[in-house]
Amino acid sequence: MTGFRDARTLDTATVLEPDLAIIGGGPAGISLALSLAGTKLNILLLESGGENFESQNQKMYAGSIGEQSYIALDAGRLRFLGGGTNHWGGWCRPMDEIDFEARSWMPHSGWPFPRKALEPYFPRAQALVEAGPWIYDQKGDAETASRGSVLPLGKGGLYTSWFQFSKMRGDVLPTQFGKRYKDELTRAANITPLLQANITAIRLSPDARRVERLDVATFESNGGAGKRFTVRPRFVVLAAGGMENARLLLASNDVMKAGVGNQNDLVGRFFADNPIPRDVATLVSFAGPLAPFYGSNQKLDDGAIMRATFAPTAAFCRSAQVAGSLSTIEQPIELDDLGKAAVVTTAIALGVDASNAKAYSLGCGMELTPDPDRRLTLTGEKDSLGLPRLKLEMRIADEEFARYRRTLGEMGRQLLASGTGMLRIDKHSRDDWMKTMDWGHHHVGTTRMHADPKQGVVNADSRVHGLSNLYIAGSSVFPTYGASNPTMNLIALTLRLADHLKKVTA
Amino acid sequence: MRRRALIVGLAAAGAAVAAGLYRFTDLFVKHYPPTPYDDVLAALTDREQAARFGAAVAGMADANDLAEKLRPVLKSGGLDTAVKADIAADRLTEVGGWVVPQSVAQISALAAKN
Repeated sequence: MTGFRDARTLDTATVLEPDLAIIGGGPAGISLALSLAGTKLNILLLESGGENFESQNQKMYAGSIGEQSYIALDAGRLRFLGGGTNHWGGWCRPMDEIDFEARSWMPHSGWPFPRKALEPYFPRAQALVEAGPWIYDQKGDAETASRGSVLPLGKGGLYTSWFQFSKMRGDVLPTQFGKRYKDELTRAANITPLLQANITAIRLSPDARRVERLDVATFESNGGAGKRFTVRPRFVVLAAGGMENARLLLASNDVMKAGVGNQNDLVGRFFADNPIPRDVATLVSFAGPLAPFYGSNQKLDDGAIMRATFAPTAAFCRSAQVAGSLSTIEQPIELDDLGKAAVVTTAIALGVDASNAKAYSLGCGMELTPDPDRRLTLTGEKDSLGLPRLKLEMRIADEEFARYRRTLGEMGRQLLASGTGMLRIDKHSRDDWMKTMDWGHHHVGTTRMHADPKQGVVNADSRVHGLSNLYIAGSSVFPTYGASNPTMNLIALTLRLADHLKKVTA
Repeated sequence: MRRRALIVGLAAAGAAVAAGLYRFTDLFVKHYPPTPYDDVLAALTDREQAARFGAAVAGMADANDLAEKLRPVLKSGGLDTAVKADIAADRLTEVGGWVVPQSVAQISALAAKN
């Protein structure tokens, strides 16, 4: 049984018995399946949607939001083959070493392993997202030298760091995993992608030690429940996304009353995203326009697409107790009279010529602190297949903004110290920050990884604590988040899981 | 002879007018009434822009206090030295959101008071 199948064509009484069931055909699920192609494992890749967007599937994602504002729960994700890669921006950047460290000023921070454990998987992850040669901070300055110079910030807490961009072949940019890897999934003799297959319950053995079966349902054309059938896998990997992973675990509560893996009330907690407040500051370059890679993507001769960002050093993060938030140039702007007076007065005082000064607005990709009360819970409302819908309590503490303000303050100091420019911080109140708030749609943290079952849902191998055959892939296991876009990183983590599965299933 | 005297006279008159315009109007250069801290404000190359910026400085001390703070700093090396010392010592402040050395904020505030 290989090649794509449609679950609606199966009989209701069907029982499928793969070695491995992967729940979710997004970047994690597809990467995992591909990395296990050619093994002896018989793999069933269960995707709830089809090959394209369908509104009845998408409606399964609807939910509610608590007091603090956030985007609608069905707006930031896509329920069809390829998942979030059907609408991602292609931004890639490996997480920094400090993102994996336990930081005393950031409660609940730290991974159970250092970045070094993921590094062997980065090249393959980079290849899967098709982001070209691995350049980033190691070679970014040199590789982009023909396009201009990096802003000389001098010694201090921030430096020019680099994003690279996914770029699917042809005219599609960035890589959409469903379209890009459909043929490879079809060709893999040991993989059966099953579309239109919605998991409605993860059923445990009576002793709650292992997953026995998955209940699966399809939609009828009128949107109601259609076929219901069963999957009895040896191993299960839940790769349905940062929100849906939590929902499926919490909703599967017949044996474990708090939900699968939720014996310590952690599933759904620690939800996070990367807030992207716009126009956070104004950066003035005294010498004139910045190099083009600060404000727009630059395609290099070797095919890599690069864009610069200002990142905090690990030393600065530690000394100033800030998060890893990144600052990126948005667009050129005109200064008002006060701004012009500030630039003239300060530049003269520094003995610097600012007659060609150019101003830009800065945006931010923020890292949030892990917060157990920023959480997803189930509501009494149910979707058309009978699963309880989610409610999100979003929270951003004022301290998060205060931390990032310290980072901006340091950037201002460095610009002055190097005589290259100056900075205006444009956010002064919580309302200011929230007014221009956008979101990365990076759903992380809800099934966090920790060696201690009391502090994490999965262990360092991504296996759910207490269950022998249930694993979780994707950014929901990130215990600390960083500000780098998660896709390439979660794929590296998934490839590490694939290596682990090869061993335990042998 | 008469023609030369006329030219000289006209030139002298023109120079006198120009000098008058320079001294008594703001046509060529802005004039400020004398203050007790002109010695401090002399460190500013563009006093008008500094005054505009300084108007946004909130909660600054009165002019005499500002001048007293700035005098020893400026005497020991000029405004650029003071500014660099502020940056090195992380004595920075925000004026209308602009991150600037303390001495820039202080001298701009002083300029705005006059």
